[in-house]
Amino acid sequence: MKLAPVDYLILAIYFGFVLGIGWRLKRSVASSGDFLTSGRSVPVWITSLAFLAANLGAQEVIGMSASGAKYGIMTAHFYWIGAVPAMLFVGIFMMPFYYGSRARSVPEFLKLRFDEKTRGLNAITFAVMTVFSSGVSMYALGLLLQLVLGWSFTASVLLSAAIVLVYTFLGGLTSAIYNEVLQFFLIVLGFTPLAILAVTKAGGWSGMQSRLPEVMTHSWRNLSSASQNPMGVDAFGLVAGLGFTLSFGYWCTNFLVVQRAMAADSMSAARRTPLIAAFPKMAMPFIVILPGIAALVLAKMNVGYVLPMKGDTYDYDQVFTTLMAQFYPSGMLGVGLTALMASFMSGMAGNVTAFNTVWTYDIYQSYIKKNAPDAHYLKVGRMTTIVGTGLSIATAYVAQHYNNIMDILQLVFGFVNAPLLATFLLGMFWRRTTGHGAFTGLATGTSVAALTLSLTVAEHKGGWIAELHHFPSTMAQNFYIALLAFVSCFVVTVVVSLFTKPRPPEELQGLVYSLTKFPQETGVSWYRKPAPVAVLVIAMLLALNLWFR
Amino acid sequence: MLDLRTPTGWFFSILGVILLGLGFFSPGHASLTTLNVDLYSGIPILVFGGVMLFLARSRS
Repeated sequence: MKLAPVDYLILAIYFGFVLGIGWRLKRSVASSGDFLTSGRSVPVWITSLAFLAANLGAQEVIGMSASGAKYGIMTAHFYWIGAVPAMLFVGIFMMPFYYGSRARSVPEFLKLRFDEKTRGLNAITFAVMTVFSSGVSMYALGLLLQLVLGWSFTASVLLSAAIVLVYTFLGGLTSAIYNEVLQFFLIVLGFTPLAILAVTKAGGWSGMQSRLPEVMTHSWRNLSSASQNPMGVDAFGLVAGLGFTLSFGYWCTNFLVVQRAMAADSMSAARRTPLIAAFPKMAMPFIVILPGIAALVLAKMNVGYVLPMKGDTYDYDQVFTTLMAQFYPSGMLGVGLTALMASFMSGMAGNVTAFNTVWTYDIYQSYIKKNAPDAHYLKVGRMTTIVGTGLSIATAYVAQHYNNIMDILQLVFGFVNAPLLATFLLGMFWRRTTGHGAFTGLATGTSVAALTLSLTVAEHKGGWIAELHHFPSTMAQNFYIALLAFVSCFVVTVVVSLFTKPRPPEELQGLVYSLTKFPQETGVSWYRKPAPVAVLVIAMLLALNLWFR
Repeated sequence: MLDLRTPTGWFFSILGVILLGLGFFSPGHASLTTLNVDLYSGIPILVFGGVMLFLARSRS
């Protein structure tokens, strides 16, 4: 891929704007609350798009188009069975507790509902996880830019990290959120033309269907057994593992996304944040997955496109960038590349701001220095931005040298949220759940996940202790590990709770379903109420699943 | 607080103008398409930028 001066100009203009937004928002940061929780004052359209963009890292764009080329339209399950139903659930059922409890973070909610040790466990796991995942995505970006543009790994890692650091340091969470919205628009406007060009060139959807094996263009038809589809999963593993455990675990308990909704200016806005975000989320497969499938078709059509190779295997991770290089002239190429950088930055800023809040409030303020004046915590928050970014950069370099460790970590993080989902569901809907129950359950669930990974093998991954079971694919392995982690956490939490003393009901008001007055939305139009919006989303979701079945 | 629509509007308007300029005066070439991609992509980007600026102005 060759860039012209105008492409660099576009990239520079973009950097100018994100830094400018950070600079302008510096003025509105007066307290640690402004810096770490946006003072709960952000309009709902902004929180919704940020909710989506914080999760939409460069790895998602690259990875989803790669999966599109590898697995076909089944990849859309990550959206249409995975993310969207979970987003509806968090908006309708969980946001009233998060927003209503006045907790400032997910770990803090665990402290209010359960006890200090459950919060500590979650805060520390989460802090480590955010640093590693932003480091890993930084590594992926550096590697990609090195490969595609010949940029130096160090230069691209340091430059992009420095820009994220400056604008989050200046304007805190608000600045991260505002920029995420700009980044979201850029991703949509920068990538949609590519999807249209690639799909049209491949003959439209019907042309693609006629040129590909049936399994690549149907999402449900080949799921009765794992051997029938390239993903190596069956319908039960898919729905229970991905659709329920992994997706609900991620969207309902991951502070990275929940934080965006908690920054909204009212309870109603906080509940609508994930619901509004569900609409663009449903459409994302058309922008990120379809180009991947189209690439596969183009490679068969002898139009001059060849699938990128690494050695003698396909390198699907390069599908998206090679399409961009061959469909975009200079100008749009700059926009596309800038959009790729933007998606990386939004993901990284999401990690950095979530890390900030959890570190400052849940670790520093809780265990290191209590009762300091607020200005002190604002300073700590700012410093944490620098430390967090520094740690991410260090992780990126570790990843560069020890590829396998990163593989393992990514696997582990894949199911960290699964047992947490059981803890939250029990905590929010069963008032008998106790702190001891939650803690033991969480520890058991995580250990069971790690143990299962050590005892099973898929695509040469896992099985460090023994090889008791072979999964047809790492994806199937992931889904079933998550499921086991969830079930074991659920069972242990229930059993231990029954043997330990529950907290008195008056302490649990606003934290448990049966003891919370759910917000009644009256006197507003239907599209401002959560339930009708959710019904509309479900109808569209059914239509999409049926159409691509 | 900053109205996000203003910087968003300016950013995409500038981007749109650059793309339209390229599309009109020096259309680039891409190997897999003969369309004037900069021109056709620049139009919606410029329109989006304009709408954002209009919304920001009409509110304040």
